[in-house]
Amino acid sequence: MATWLRNLIGPAHAGRYVLAGAALVLAVSAPAAAQPAQASGCETCHQDHPLPALSAPARAFGQTDVHRERGFTCVDCHGGNPNETDKVRAKAPATGFKGKPSGQAVIAVCTRCHSDATLMRKYAPKQRVDQGAEYATSVHGQQLAKGDTKVATCISCHGAHGVRLVSDAKSPVYPVNVAATCTQCHADPEHMKGYKLPDGSPLPTDQRAKYEKSVHYAAMTARNDLSAPTCNDCHGNHGAAPPGVGAVTNVCGTCHGVFATKFALSTHSQIFDKGCVECHSNHEIVKPTDALLGTGQSSLCVTCHSDGDNGFKAAATMRAEIEKLKAAIDRSHALVATAENAGMAMDEQTLALREAGNHLTLARTEMHAFEPKAVTTVLEAGLGITAKVDAEGQAALDEVSFRKTGLAVSLGVILLVVVALALKIRSLKTGD
Amino acid sequence: MSSQDAPNPPRRSFLDALLGLGFASSFISVLYPVWRYVIPPASAEPATDSVIAGKITEFKPNTGAVLKFGTKPALLVRTSDGEFKAFSAVCTHLDCTVQYKPDTSQIWCPCHNGIYDLSGGVVSGPPPRPLENFQVNLRGEPGQEDVVISRT
Amino acid sequence: MTQQVFAWLDERLDLSGLRAFVADKTVPKHRHSVWYYMGGITLFLVGVQVATGILLLLYYRPSAGEAYESVQFIVSQVQFGWLIRNLHSWSANLLILMAFVHLFSTFFLRAYRKPRELTWITGVLLLFIMMGFGFSGYLLPWNELAFFATKVGTGIAGAVPLVGDFLVRFLRGGDDVTGATLTRFYGIHVAILPLITTVLLAMHLLFIQRQGMSVPPSVEKREKAGEKIPQEPFFPNYVLHDVMWWYVALAVLAALSLFLPWELGKKADAFASVPAGIRPEWYFLAMFQTLKLIPSHVLGFEGEMLGVLGFSAAAGLLLVMPFLDRHAADGRPSKVITAAGILAVIYLVVFTIYGYLAA
Repeated sequence: MATWLRNLIGPAHAGRYVLAGAALVLAVSAPAAAQPAQASGCETCHQDHPLPALSAPARAFGQTDVHRERGFTCVDCHGGNPNETDKVRAKAPATGFKGKPSGQAVIAVCTRCHSDATLMRKYAPKQRVDQGAEYATSVHGQQLAKGDTKVATCISCHGAHGVRLVSDAKSPVYPVNVAATCTQCHADPEHMKGYKLPDGSPLPTDQRAKYEKSVHYAAMTARNDLSAPTCNDCHGNHGAAPPGVGAVTNVCGTCHGVFATKFALSTHSQIFDKGCVECHSNHEIVKPTDALLGTGQSSLCVTCHSDGDNGFKAAATMRAEIEKLKAAIDRSHALVATAENAGMAMDEQTLALREAGNHLTLARTEMHAFEPKAVTTVLEAGLGITAKVDAEGQAALDEVSFRKTGLAVSLGVILLVVVALALKIRSLKTGD
Repeated sequence: MSSQDAPNPPRRSFLDALLGLGFASSFISVLYPVWRYVIPPASAEPATDSVIAGKITEFKPNTGAVLKFGTKPALLVRTSDGEFKAFSAVCTHLDCTVQYKPDTSQIWCPCHNGIYDLSGGVVSGPPPRPLENFQVNLRGEPGQEDVVISRT
Repeated sequence: MTQQVFAWLDERLDLSGLRAFVADKTVPKHRHSVWYYMGGITLFLVGVQVATGILLLLYYRPSAGEAYESVQFIVSQVQFGWLIRNLHSWSANLLILMAFVHLFSTFFLRAYRKPRELTWITGVLLLFIMMGFGFSGYLLPWNELAFFATKVGTGIAGAVPLVGDFLVRFLRGGDDVTGATLTRFYGIHVAILPLITTVLLAMHLLFIQRQGMSVPPSVEKREKAGEKIPQEPFFPNYVLHDVMWWYVALAVLAALSLFLPWELGKKADAFASVPAGIRPEWYFLAMFQTLKLIPSHVLGFEGEMLGVLGFSAAAGLLLVMPFLDRHAADGRPSKVITAAGILAVIYLVVFTIYGYLAA
């Protein structure tokens, strides 16, 4: 028989079979029917306990909790005898009472169910059951195994009482809330004191501040794009750890596939330990601008490249070509706007300029292979488009001039008539 | 003061001729533009909410075509079963123009590999939102219909 | 050939009366007779507006979703659409200018005195109608400037006491300027105002033909003293002279379209903020500038309301001018009224310029 059931019943209790039967009925019927659990004996004392530390958990569990809603009760994690109202008997060692689990015990309590595929299939068939194994590979898990209890365990992120589904917007692990949850510890310098990076420098605590300046944070909060990455998307959920050397490009590439592919084929992928992070940073990923490329003051290329080397030349070329197309597009837009305001139909040209803009986007992608020739090819195609638009815009303006000439001629004809009329009138007068 | 007719007629008739010429040319320079104006231009009406993509026979099944809809591109897809679907061809990621890929029967953006399904929904890649759907109607003689794309 | 056509018609309709009328009709010639042509020019421009307006009607669409695009279509796709549209826009402005010139010339020459009171009244009403045409037509291209100018202009109607709110709702077709306003203004511009114009203009021209041209009081005095005022035959002299002035007006229109072509502007966006320096067309500018200067409250009354009432009073006075200046009929035009007229011209010119510079 399962140890926990035996602990529940007690070794040599007289009514153990009755209790066993009752417990069995409870264990089998209530959870399988996924009914919310009835209030148990634990709550009769703990709900209104004078000590907040003892009443708060009971209260939280009594409200929204994913486990309670599926029929689990206090004893399923804490052990004890729910039918006893006497404090001592309810928590007698024989009942299997665990008290408040901590450290490795937390993992054991949670994975008792959550790593049991047969059990989990009854409640959430698609949910994974390897979180415990993953956790063991994480920095948190490894530290915990060494005896460090300051690290996060299951309940640090998911909560213990009042646990909500990940898809619940109030859950601490709902995508929008993840950063706040992780940085409860990671942004606290006191808590993080003593932890060091592999190179010996202290673990930074400014990740959240930096992340909140990033485009990923903006996408998630301002545009409600829940697919935007937060801490767990790059570091992992349960197996949380930094990606590590050689893995960064792959991690970024899970979403930014095209860039990762091009970068992987370039010479930089052999040199950059930190991959994409080398230029784009890891937490404070801001919107990149063309200024990052090239040989100017704010460019990143000059961090390593200097005047005369191939990289410097390549950077200069690529940036110059991009700027050339940008300027050409701006000029074409101005020309088209002038023609349009003068009354010429410029829809086709506006559409073509959009296509030219697409070439800029493609060029910026292509640039990640760090091969000027490829970039130039794309940009030349774009310049071809702007040249055509310029020609058509100029033709439109020429048409406007032509019309003006026509009008001027008509004006001349009209004035001719006026003069002729004036002369005629005068001749009529002298004819009187 | 009466002047004789004799010395004046040549000048007068020259003046009359000039006047006649002036009137005639000014009338023509009014009537000609008016005549050209009332003849309908090539595209019969301002293309704001709908555009004619072409004849039904121009679009083979499992093909797509990008065409102009106002100032933005639109994508017309004829599925393998002959149905027409139309979307805004502006990728919701960074505004590149998407295209139809017959081999996967999906809509693809060449800039960053965004993929959309035939309802315009995002399948994979960076696009944050689905493509705007347009309505397609067939209008005209059966077998010779015009394919008309319009905003819903 | 015209002789043959005329003869054919004469056979059937007996045009001898018409012929006699035309052959015998004369127009006085004196120092101020050049002003006689002003009305004719105005009439010519009305004709231009009707013709170009009807042409625009063939392609224009009066709905908020299509108006701007249809004007864009006209100027960019329709052959010579740019020309028709330019002519219509410029002729509107020139028309109102000439209407004012015609008004002031007949005013200072006292043409309104007995027996021509009705000619004056129909004329003043026609001026107001022309300004109504201008105001309603300005909105039709549905561009940004027009939208906000209409918003401000119709808002001013709210300052009228008692019926102000009703007037605003009536003009706008609702509480705000929307597509409903556009459709309503369109109906006013192409149907209601043209109908009223037809009636008033017919009366105006009929009266003139019936009564002949008025001469200024100074000339009338000489006439009464026995002097014979030189006359010019209506046909062909006056007519040719009239036509010449029409061609001059046409030349001005062509030159304006050539050097100051009308632009499309940006499509109206109800949710955009009002562009800085928004102001109405020049013929409303003096009124607008005046209203801007009136303090928001004067003696406990709303400043704007006082302004609107003031202008309404001025319009009323203008309308009944023949009855205010009764003695003009006796050859004693009121010097006060002359002075008031000069002040009015100065005020209008100065405040229009001021309105331009202030923006």
